[in-house]
Amino acid sequence: KILLFLFKQTAFVVEDVSRIIKESVEAVIGGNVYQHSRVNQWSTSVVEQCLSQLSKLGKPFKYIVNCIIMQKNGAGLQTASSCFWDNSTDGSCAVRWENKSMYCIVTVFGLAI
Amino acid sequence: MEGAATYQIRADPQHKFKPAVVKNCIREVVRERLSGLRYEPEEVPELSRSLADSVRDKVKDAGFDRYKLVVQVVIGEQRGQGVKMSSRCLWDADTDSYAEDVFMNVGALFRSLRLTKYIFAFFGGF
Repeated sequence: KILLFLFKQTAFVVEDVSRIIKESVEAVIGGNVYQHSRVNQWSTSVVEQCLSQLSKLGKPFKYIVNCIIMQKNGAGLQTASSCFWDNSTDGSCAVRWENKSMYCIVTVFGLAI
Repeated sequence: MEGAATYQIRADPQHKFKPAVVKNCIREVVRERLSGLRYEPEEVPELSRSLADSVRDKVKDAGFDRYKLVVQVVIGEQRGQGVKMSSRCLWDADTDSYAEDVFMNVGALFRSLRLTKYIFAFFGGF
């Protein structure tokens, strides 16, 4: 049990991270309709909120948070990532979110210090 | 002091991450693989994965000692829609850095390709 506790204290837990991402996107974008003038602000606040919540977890990680917002009009979008790191400690989590007028894809990478 | 253990806690200047070098790596790979291509929904997943892998391998060979690397590839179709991408990082600004390159395919073709690529490098002990 102690081991499990220690593990949770220092590991990249995907469920926690994906919850943080979903909450931030919901809070910032929610039911808004795509507006060119506000996208800058939305994407900035999404990454900012994710990052501040992640740092509150108090884990020994460096983080990268990446957010893409795209207007829906039938166009395709594909993301991929490739990493060179320590598989046993580092991890990533990607969440795809959408509402009626836009897609939002947030990817978080956590790298153990 | 002979025999005393020494630890390297900072990247030495020779092996430090150089964004300009990496940007060139990205550009070379992307120009080579993407010029003249059209956005084909069936092929794009495989294409983006292999692009990410080849960029990672290329940067790995560039000799940045003890860096971890994260490569992110985004390929989007151009249909006049709005796209916005932003990133923020929590890291050691002294040692860690990133490089980025954007490739856009403009042609007479209605469907073309837009690509953004980010590389993040982390200094850390393996």
